[in-house]
Amino acid sequence: MKKHDLIPFLTVLLSLILGIVVIALLGKNPFQAYYNLLQGSGLAPKASYAGHKGMITDFTSFLNALTPMLLASLSVLIALKAGLFNIGVSGQMLAAAFVATVLVGYSELPAVVAKPLVVLIGAAVGALVGGLVGYLRHRFNINEVVSTIMCNYIVQFVASFFINVFFVDPVSRQSKNIGAASRLTLVDTVVGDYKMDIPLGILVAAAAVAATVFLLGKTTLGFEIKAVGSSSRAAEYAGIRVGRTRVLAMMLSGGAAGLAGVTYYLGYFCSMQPRVLASTGYDAIAVALLGNSSPIGIIFSSFLITVISKGSTYMSSTAGVQAEMASALTGIILLISACGAYVRERLDRWKENR
Amino acid sequence: MSDYIIEMNHITKRFPGIVANDDVSIQVKKGEIYALLGENGAGKSTLMSMLFGMYEPDEGEIIIRGEKVKIESPNHATRLNIGMVHQHFKLVSNYTIAENIVMGMEPVKKGFGLFKTLDQKRANEEIRALSEKFGLEVDPTKVIENINVSMQQRVEILKMLYREAEILIFDEPTAVLTPQEIAFLLEIIESLRRDGKTIILITHKLEEIKKIADRCAILCRGKLIDVLDVKETDTKTMANLMVGREVNFSVDKPASEYGREVLKVEHLTVQNEDKFEVVKDVSFSVRGGEIFAVAGVSGNGQVELADAVAGLLKPSSGTITLNGKDITHASIRSRNLEGISYIPEDRQNVGLVMDLSLSDNLALKNYFKPPFSKGPVIAGDAFTGYSDGLIEKYDIRSGQGSETIVRSMSGGNQQKAIIAREIELDSSLLIFVQPTRGLDIGAIENIHRQIVEQRNKGKAVLLISLELDEVMNLADTIGVIYNGRIEKIADAKTLTPGEVGEFMMGVGGRHEKA
Amino acid sequence: MNTIIIDGLSFALPLFIMAIGGIYCERSGVTNLAIEGLQGFGAFCGALFAVSIAPLFAGDSPVPFYLAMVFAFFGGMLFSLLHAMLCIRFKANQVISGVVINILAMSLTEFMTKQINASIFQAASNKFVLGVSARMTVPGISSVPVLGAVFTNLYPFEPVIALIALLAWYVLYKTPFGLHLRACGDNPHAVDAAGIEVGKVRLVAVMVSGALSGLGGICFAYSISANFSSNIYSGYGYLAIAALIFGNWKILPTLGACLLFGFARSGGYELVKILEMPSSYQDLVMVLPYVLTLLMLVFFGKKNRSPRALGVIYDKGAR
Repeated sequence: MKKHDLIPFLTVLLSLILGIVVIALLGKNPFQAYYNLLQGSGLAPKASYAGHKGMITDFTSFLNALTPMLLASLSVLIALKAGLFNIGVSGQMLAAAFVATVLVGYSELPAVVAKPLVVLIGAAVGALVGGLVGYLRHRFNINEVVSTIMCNYIVQFVASFFINVFFVDPVSRQSKNIGAASRLTLVDTVVGDYKMDIPLGILVAAAAVAATVFLLGKTTLGFEIKAVGSSSRAAEYAGIRVGRTRVLAMMLSGGAAGLAGVTYYLGYFCSMQPRVLASTGYDAIAVALLGNSSPIGIIFSSFLITVISKGSTYMSSTAGVQAEMASALTGIILLISACGAYVRERLDRWKENR
Repeated sequence: MSDYIIEMNHITKRFPGIVANDDVSIQVKKGEIYALLGENGAGKSTLMSMLFGMYEPDEGEIIIRGEKVKIESPNHATRLNIGMVHQHFKLVSNYTIAENIVMGMEPVKKGFGLFKTLDQKRANEEIRALSEKFGLEVDPTKVIENINVSMQQRVEILKMLYREAEILIFDEPTAVLTPQEIAFLLEIIESLRRDGKTIILITHKLEEIKKIADRCAILCRGKLIDVLDVKETDTKTMANLMVGREVNFSVDKPASEYGREVLKVEHLTVQNEDKFEVVKDVSFSVRGGEIFAVAGVSGNGQVELADAVAGLLKPSSGTITLNGKDITHASIRSRNLEGISYIPEDRQNVGLVMDLSLSDNLALKNYFKPPFSKGPVIAGDAFTGYSDGLIEKYDIRSGQGSETIVRSMSGGNQQKAIIAREIELDSSLLIFVQPTRGLDIGAIENIHRQIVEQRNKGKAVLLISLELDEVMNLADTIGVIYNGRIEKIADAKTLTPGEVGEFMMGVGGRHEKA
Repeated sequence: MNTIIIDGLSFALPLFIMAIGGIYCERSGVTNLAIEGLQGFGAFCGALFAVSIAPLFAGDSPVPFYLAMVFAFFGGMLFSLLHAMLCIRFKANQVISGVVINILAMSLTEFMTKQINASIFQAASNKFVLGVSARMTVPGISSVPVLGAVFTNLYPFEPVIALIALLAWYVLYKTPFGLHLRACGDNPHAVDAAGIEVGKVRLVAVMVSGALSGLGGICFAYSISANFSSNIYSGYGYLAIAALIFGNWKILPTLGACLLFGFARSGGYELVKILEMPSSYQDLVMVLPYVLTLLMLVFFGKKNRSPRALGVIYDKGAR
């Protein structure tokens, strides 16, 4: 295992080099562009800041964007450990956020009640949708890739219908903004000289990562999930209830997706756009892969991908590279990381033959 | 011009870690049935794979019809009129027999006078004619998934004949067949020979060789031991040459002292996944201190019988009782806890989780019990301590000890790990299915010793084996299974191998009744 | 009634051609979740070509449209080579490859659309404006009641798709190549043993899938959206996947599924209009195909069989 930990780094390196080539071909300075990405994410100082802004405010808003990506990748990872592909993270995110928005976001509950309630409802609704997918696999043998795709669109259009009919803001054409009490990000909080967005969700994400490390490494359920994921026949032979384990793993995965959903729609944003699914759920599949399918690995990979996407606006305004270049760069990283398994195999074979 | 249609001279083939063929030379005459005899891993299949173009020899030459050739691919072999029936059939399950046979060499017509179109009608006619010519009795319009194994094998034979093969290689063709089907296959092979085909038969079954082969090459651990004229040799001599020494697997075994009844199976009927009844109304019991061996030809329901006792298959009727407790409907986990250990036939897909570490695999059946875990929380140290102990005790060799990923271990050590795990469960019943398949002789002896040791400790052992020698040497009681039914149960001492063989073929005890 | 048939067909046919591509790909044993990305990239290539040559032709000339179809066809095919490379050559997981290709297609085309608009057309726009292609009506037969609607107000791509679909059906079920392709999805070892290269057959299957997806994409761009922008990624590809699963990986039943989805959509829209409900109710209609597919799998899952070797990486050595 350990000897291959280099591969994700090589992947990223190769992608960044490709990025340099493309940016240079467009006649811009690639190194400046990359530095801009860091600056935009609050990881390097900018030349000047607007009033009440600084590196620290950029960094907290970077964390704000990182939170849902980290949780979504965690969701993919948990399912992957049980041998399941959760393509439905985006749908589970929206479902969780929609229910939390309607039940809590539009209520008059005080912040101390509302915020924990949002988190709980998010996790519960996500777990419900995920659990349904797991149950369909267990009871009707419906491939989870298929059922999650179907669920994505069912959630998207059902949520869209309700938003348009009951909760639409006529100006923005999105759902009405939720109340500040239930929002998981403290927006424009004055801290000393700065006005910053403080993402409380990052604490949830950190706890979720820690819980996943513990679950997979230190619990019997984690052991069962790994056994089912590696060989369901051997797991069954050993007396593990394969169907139950799959349903539980999908519930956990859906729960993490639900958390991603509330930190995205009730944290980073405060409304939902009808008929649109966040791309986070799809990106997360590749981010989990890039993170070498380990909870610690995905911290790094989601960090990287968020730096690129979050820093792109600043890069665009400063270096003059189209902001969309950033997502193209992300795409290339993910593409190369998909080849990682092959490189790994070749490396093994090369070592054997030596 | 030599008399030989095939000459393989001084062939050597190495794989990482082993020499699969070491300076092997064989010559085969046109029109003869030439057998390759040897144990698992003796190098028979490797040798034939080179003749069929799947590997290239490291050293040596291949001469076909007097011409030196370098066979680069199975396609090339086909062009040289060489055909092979593999042990695992290569058939498309949702295609008809005719489609499977003609694939790659389809008869075509012009559809609408424009497109190259498959001529289904002509394909069917051609295959029907071919089948009739060799007495193979197949209906070209039947779909593969609806026909039985024996018929599928005949489709494979037709594939070779359709490609005008003159040299036909059969890799262990009888392993999956019932006795009647074997008889039919041997007739087909005879008729192919009468038609002028040359046949090479890979097998480790002496009776078949005796029945139809002209000559027999014996391989042992990659080396050619001897080439014999079958008519002038008895099976005992062949067997001794095959294993490279006197066949003496007999194990020192004190007289049996049976304890109480541990396993009782009554009127058990089991269906497999395709809803076929594969175990039919089977009743027997196993006592403590007894090795009950189920003898039978592969595919007669013995694996399903073991799966049903262990809980992997649900019986459709009958009861299973363990230590006086009805476990017919109990879950796998509760059976394990009640005292069943199970060494399954498929050690790589069922017995082990190949991508987990050795220590995880050794604790696979007790990870949820103290000291391995406390409630839902696992104690990692207990895993390693336990696993280190077992590695030492059972001499399991692996690259990185407890941390080794099981996939990287050798087959013999994987089996050792399974046996270690199952014995350490200290169950009252141990089920062994084909425990020595594919292992070398040292490992086989070791496993046999352990099985007897468990019996001596008073455990009940249910042994299921396809190797008659293994059954004869280990069993206290023998039950012979044929076509899903236990045909005969008797004290091992009262049966000769010949009698057991007759029951295995479904013809046992006939002359008694007559 | 006529509107339902006319609109239903113009939606169902591009969907159908994409689903046929998916059937080719999946029947050869390669899972294809990349249809969404492939149709988008194909549409991008077609649209880019169309806007580039548009000044050379009169405003109402149909030539740019037909050329756009050709370019979308080859653009989709080109991009599908990535999927083929990952799945066949690099033995990557096919589900991951599909997802990654969708992400890449979306980000690349968005980036390039903006970059090209900015640097070549000197416009800050994230779309290529295409307009809706001219429609045609077959004289005579179109006046037959009900059936006539099928031949009324046709987009020019509709007969083209019908023709290609017919050809695709013939090749898949009647030719030796079709026999090899379907065999690859069931038991690639058998195909290999018959002397046919599994990798090559699958490569062609993936390329067909890319080409037909691209074609479907440009048809949507020229009808529903009237431009190329990131709006093209609104799930047509995934809907095509639903259709082919609904159709049990067979071409004729898949046509049925596409028509069902198409008419349900146009019928639902029409109903919403007649009952004077707000347009948001259309969303409920959009759910229908996905709910139907899921219910079909729940109730008839046993009869619904994906190709046996689907998603399994073919390794010559493994038995």
